[in-house]
Amino acid sequence: MANGLFSFSDVHVEVEGKEVVRGASLTVNPGEIHAIMGPNGSGKSSLSHGLMGHPAYEITSGTVTLNGADLTEMEADERSRTGLFLAFQYPLAIPGVTVANFLRAALQAHRGPDADMSDFRSLVKGEMDALGIKHDFATRYVNDGFSGGEKKRLEILQMAVLGPRMAILDETDSGLDIDALKTVAEGINRFSGQDNGVLLVTHYQRLLNYVQPDFVHVMMDGRLVKSGGKELAVKLEEQGYEWIEAEVAEMAGAN
Amino acid sequence: METPKLSPSQLTGPEWLQAKRAGSLTSYNDLPLPQRGLHLWRYTDPRTFVIDSAEATTTSVESTFADVARVEKQHFDDGHLDALVIDNQGQTITSDLSADASAAGLVAGSLTAALDSHRELAERYLYALVNTAFGKFEAMNGALWQDGVFVYVPDNAVLTRPIHLLREAGTNGSRQFPRLLVIVGANAEATVIDEYGGGADEAGDTPSYSNGVVEVFGGAGSRTRYISLQRHGRGMNAYLTHRAQIANDASMVTVPLAFGGATTKQNFGVNLNGRGANSEMAGLLFGGNYQHFDNHTLHHHTVGDTYSNIDYRVALKDRALSAYTGLIRIDQKAKNCEAYQENRNLLLNPGTRAETIPELEILNEDVSCSHGATVGPIDPLMLFYLTCRGIPTDVATRMIVSGFVASTFDKIPSDARERVAAIVESRLGDI
Repeated sequence: MANGLFSFSDVHVEVEGKEVVRGASLTVNPGEIHAIMGPNGSGKSSLSHGLMGHPAYEITSGTVTLNGADLTEMEADERSRTGLFLAFQYPLAIPGVTVANFLRAALQAHRGPDADMSDFRSLVKGEMDALGIKHDFATRYVNDGFSGGEKKRLEILQMAVLGPRMAILDETDSGLDIDALKTVAEGINRFSGQDNGVLLVTHYQRLLNYVQPDFVHVMMDGRLVKSGGKELAVKLEEQGYEWIEAEVAEMAGAN
Repeated sequence: METPKLSPSQLTGPEWLQAKRAGSLTSYNDLPLPQRGLHLWRYTDPRTFVIDSAEATTTSVESTFADVARVEKQHFDDGHLDALVIDNQGQTITSDLSADASAAGLVAGSLTAALDSHRELAERYLYALVNTAFGKFEAMNGALWQDGVFVYVPDNAVLTRPIHLLREAGTNGSRQFPRLLVIVGANAEATVIDEYGGGADEAGDTPSYSNGVVEVFGGAGSRTRYISLQRHGRGMNAYLTHRAQIANDASMVTVPLAFGGATTKQNFGVNLNGRGANSEMAGLLFGGNYQHFDNHTLHHHTVGDTYSNIDYRVALKDRALSAYTGLIRIDQKAKNCEAYQENRNLLLNPGTRAETIPELEILNEDVSCSHGATVGPIDPLMLFYLTCRGIPTDVATRMIVSGFVASTFDKIPSDARERVAAIVESRLGDI
């Protein structure tokens, strides 16, 4: 298999001593949009957190690479600076830290401590306009008292400002009304390009009506058990996950 | 424990004051030492604040003092202050007033001088809130203060710029008894920055000693901001009692900031004495090394239709300790009050310790009241959120702490904010 842009191979993730991802592998090539779908508790979010380097989600075996660099042993901040991005399902509030200061610190960290930041304001304002975010948003404290839609917009704004090579979006559609969903989807589509990759992690295929994935993978019980194209997501939407469970059980029986 | 009896060589001042001083001295000598382990003395040894001689001493404070005094003088000359008062070890008080403030009738300067020039006010208000009934150490200040600071803002006077008080303590082995009386008249408006510095520099030095009292009065409809900035040297043991009283429709913002000292015990309280009175307290304490902080706050609602809120924040590193006791008292006849209190403690490393004791004495049921307290390290999830945007852990930690103190910073006038920011910044430096 080609190394691609981003790939993880036979990744196992443990939370509090319990294995929640039990050998997952995937390769994303530049320009591709992948989706991982699966029922609640299948390990999707744990995989996302483990890939990003969450201290409580330990990768116990397997490797993760991005653009030729081995991320597996890196801390979260190094993974980010290498080009990995995770949009949170539940973004954290940071009281007392403004959105502008946060974005500036993040961008400065990516560019290096002595890098020129004179374009910062225009860059952020431009991306805010594109996402329909009012400029006074920049002076508010990060996610502090934000609505669900505002939080998700801020995640997409961060992605747009930092311009990662690989973006993982964890349940970014959850809790959004249809207008917010469209805005967020437009943000993802604008971001997605020939040089970067996108991995959508989602329970529902609602977002996939607005962001067309090239590949859909199904996660169950800590493993990626089935892959296909967009039609797989449609089938899951119509028929649920039971038929895959049956299929997996049958294969396990055959073995 | 038997504490030494104090017999000062003289009790200064006019006759009425000498009587107050004599009464205070008797109280000090007669009152037993607060019993360790009992209420408000659970965490601090009262012997820390006992002295063996009644005479205040002074030392040359040129070295520690000159820089700050120069900065503030510049602020004054640049027109950022309505008054600058320099209190050198409770003995020499010098002051400058802006032309506007003088025209508005502001008085800011020596308390001893005010005993003559504003005798009626001084006699009526001095000792009205903090007196012998308060306790042994308050009585000691009442007997022994030499000169202090007097601030009087006449009715309807609106001062837009801060009145900055620099209260400088002596170095190793020095003893001082700072005293402050602030009277803000009806419908008047003023901001007082009460900045305490100096004292023995290092924890290993012969300690310096300070025992201070602050009384603040807000007249009907007045708007007062009082900022207490404690940035003593690490070899200072300081005791301070503050009480304020506000009349109907008066508002008061009290900002206790504590950074310095070895062992410090500070008590800030506001009595809400008139309908429509409104009191906000926003405290911040940042401790390091082996510093020991023991702080109390009080909001006492004596009448109904009053509002109070306390947000007291503590950040600790190294082996620092903070004990905070916050009391809300609402009298039986004080109906329809709102009173809120929150104490957050951020422990930046293991080995720090924070105690938080909320106390409520609410004697009627027609009130809205809440209190909350948190003690803990930086939320690892918050840290993860920042680091997975590429921000290194040390920078992210400093950002979170800066955010933690931001709400208090908003309450600090710009004149003092820079200095406070510099102190916080230096504390954050080696995290």
